[in-house]
Amino acid sequence: MRINLTDDILLNVQKPAKYTGNEWNMVRKNPGDVDVRFAFCFPDDYEIGMSHLGMKILYHILNRREDTYCERVFAPWVDMEEKLRENNIPLYSLETYTPVSEFDMVGFTLQYEMSYTNILSMLDLGGIPVFAKDRKDNMPFVLAGGPCAVNPEPLADFVDFFVIGEAEEAINEIIDEYKAWKNSGESREEFLARVAKIEGVYVPAFYDVDYNEDGTVKSIRPNRDGVPAKIKRRIIRDLNEADFPDDVIVPYVGTVHDRIMLEIFRGCIRGCRFCQAGFIYRPLRERDHEKLLKLAKQSIEKTGYEEISLVSLSTSDYSRLPELCNALIEYTEGEKVNLSLPSLRLDNFSMQLMEKASKVRKSGLTFAPEAGTQRLRDVINKNITEEDLFNAVKMAVSGGWNSVKLYFMMGLPTETMEDVEAIGELGIRLIESCRDLPGGKSLNITISTSCFVPKPFTPFQWEPMDDMETLMEKQFRLKDRVRKNRRITYNYHDARVSMLEAVFARGDRRIGQALYKAWRKGCKFDGWAEFFDFDKWMEAFEECGLDPKFYANRRRSFDEILPWDHINIGVTKRFLQKECEKAYRGEVTQNCAENCSFCGAQGYKTGICLGEQRSDRNNG
Amino acid sequence: MAKVLRFRFSRGPELKYLSHLDVLRVFERALRRSQLPVGYTRGFNPRMRLVFGLPMSTGLTSDAEYADIVLEREISCEDFVSILNENMPDGIKIHEAAELIGQENIMNLIKAALYSITFETDRRESEIACMISDLLFQNELMAMKKTKKGFRPENIRPLIYRLGLANKGNNTFELSALVSAGAEKNLRADLLMEALSRKYEFRPNILSIHRKALYTEDAGGWKDPIEVTDGKRCPD
Repeated sequence: MRINLTDDILLNVQKPAKYTGNEWNMVRKNPGDVDVRFAFCFPDDYEIGMSHLGMKILYHILNRREDTYCERVFAPWVDMEEKLRENNIPLYSLETYTPVSEFDMVGFTLQYEMSYTNILSMLDLGGIPVFAKDRKDNMPFVLAGGPCAVNPEPLADFVDFFVIGEAEEAINEIIDEYKAWKNSGESREEFLARVAKIEGVYVPAFYDVDYNEDGTVKSIRPNRDGVPAKIKRRIIRDLNEADFPDDVIVPYVGTVHDRIMLEIFRGCIRGCRFCQAGFIYRPLRERDHEKLLKLAKQSIEKTGYEEISLVSLSTSDYSRLPELCNALIEYTEGEKVNLSLPSLRLDNFSMQLMEKASKVRKSGLTFAPEAGTQRLRDVINKNITEEDLFNAVKMAVSGGWNSVKLYFMMGLPTETMEDVEAIGELGIRLIESCRDLPGGKSLNITISTSCFVPKPFTPFQWEPMDDMETLMEKQFRLKDRVRKNRRITYNYHDARVSMLEAVFARGDRRIGQALYKAWRKGCKFDGWAEFFDFDKWMEAFEECGLDPKFYANRRRSFDEILPWDHINIGVTKRFLQKECEKAYRGEVTQNCAENCSFCGAQGYKTGICLGEQRSDRNNG
Repeated sequence: MAKVLRFRFSRGPELKYLSHLDVLRVFERALRRSQLPVGYTRGFNPRMRLVFGLPMSTGLTSDAEYADIVLEREISCEDFVSILNENMPDGIKIHEAAELIGQENIMNLIKAALYSITFETDRRESEIACMISDLLFQNELMAMKKTKKGFRPENIRPLIYRLGLANKGNNTFELSALVSAGAEKNLRADLLMEALSRKYEFRPNILSIHRKALYTEDAGGWKDPIEVTDGKRCPD
């Protein structure tokens, strides 16, 4: 069935071009010619989803197969959802306007806990039962992956199976298995049993969770033969061999990251203890700089984009950054393409690079010291010193930048009020230190604080999150501290949203019920301040007899069975515990380029874990 | 040698939901893909030297949009049209181009637009015809024009130059309207329909708004903006 959309609908919603597809480089196939139809669903607005690199990669990989057609689906914005419901139009794909329920597979990417209600909305709008148990034989399989899938439990009731880790290879194995199953006449359950054998695939229905009287997890065990007790995260061993798109879709409406994204490496060597990405993508694996330059050129030619951005967790850690950047700057200048270099460290080289690369905008620079005191920065293993920061800001001011953004986290383990006030003092001292520099008098500093949310597979996974009252008190204290300085602006994040994020980040299977209830009460787009309805969420938890504080604000003991203990991320629980204990002692850990800490990721036997790569780096 | 081309393009239903800004981006990216020798402005933030005749509102289709572009190297109008078309998504097509020699740019040139508005109504043909002839005898047609501060009443009658009606059957009619357009006095087709509906209390269901032509004023008459270039026109 092809959905027909009238002007009556499209001319009465904001930015209708989000709902009509037909963009440059959109893949066109005849659905009748393929064996497998895959709906790639992004549970947020088009403008966010189209900025997501993972979707572009998997779209490319799936569509390279002749037997498969991968199409895109985004969460319709509230006005469009209303129109769809009013006119009984099911949620459809942008490529062929096919209702989501007609696909073989419906895959969601989990980028952010606060988009979970949108998954339920999208399934429901697409005509698919939201609970996995209610899906019949002729209905699509619902799968999910992405960073939040490392703790899949909160979504266990809704998703048929998860892919843990990088999906570029696993997705092909899943499609092959689907084709074999489709011709076999086997049941739905038998398909799940087939994919459960693929490394990295987790079928929640095949595992039973038991709880202790105090509400903690007693055990997580397979309930049938042939499924692994632990699900091992998939990774791509060699990024140079992995397929990477150079013909990405060019949207019509402006998106959040409306540019070419060139992924220079995966993983991170740093090991900041609050940072989930620093652990769940290990080990660091680089893409060859010559290959990257070639990809950059092909991408510009095939898309016509006016901007290209390097993507990684920490650009400065790319071992061949000077070679790559010099070649890229030369090329992009000739083509009048902007080069953007995010997440650089605070050093001389970075400053020169930025000077060369961004001849245009000198509006803002962003640094993330994360904590206001050296003591707390040591606790979180963020190896930036105050001297680094002062030098960087001075360099920035001398280089003509007059606005600097500083990111901090509030509520980090062991944080005291002195640490909080130190954030403000740092801002004030930075302003003062630049006063005598040329242009220093016009320096403005924006301090932003987010609320620390403990995440699974980090050394702080056992930590309680600060309760909302404490966070608000800290925010108030900092606000008061910088109030008198007109050159400092202070922004802070809504502690209530962070608290919910914390519940879902470390939730178990039971909180799926609260998610369902909250969605039924109308919760959606919870990451958007204008739609976030805290009271509805609290009602939902209460009706389910669940206490959000149990999940967000409780300290776990090191020997507690955690809801995600059956997921093997590569980094061991023992290592994380050691890191947590070192944090309490204020001891830092060397990064992967300096020394191997035997976190467990060396088991993947690739990337920086291979000794030669480390010595190359240190000698070069 | 740099030269300036004026070209005409159409926008079909595939891309009618784009905003004017979106269309601008489509052109910039298509031009970049085409590797045509587009001229850029100087300065810190070089922009393509590309100027559009009249913004296109969301929902509008058109046969006749115009833009002027600076090219830094010699390229024939025919080549320009065919190379750019290869790099355009379905829905935008370049039809003709001509070299511009020393004229004012297109933005200040557009003076009138011809719209074809298709609508459904339960009124009879004779009623609508009466309505239109009545309007043409009036000196005033008030419309609520959107401004930064909200809505302001404005007499749009002087901006209406010609109206014509055709019966398309099945209670569907096509109103062709020649109205003032351009930087000075611009009348949008949807605003015209709104004002008509209010004054004559009829509720048309608008099916489509299509721009058939844009005109510049030359020696007292309406002229095709490509016709007024001195350059050689390349065939459609």
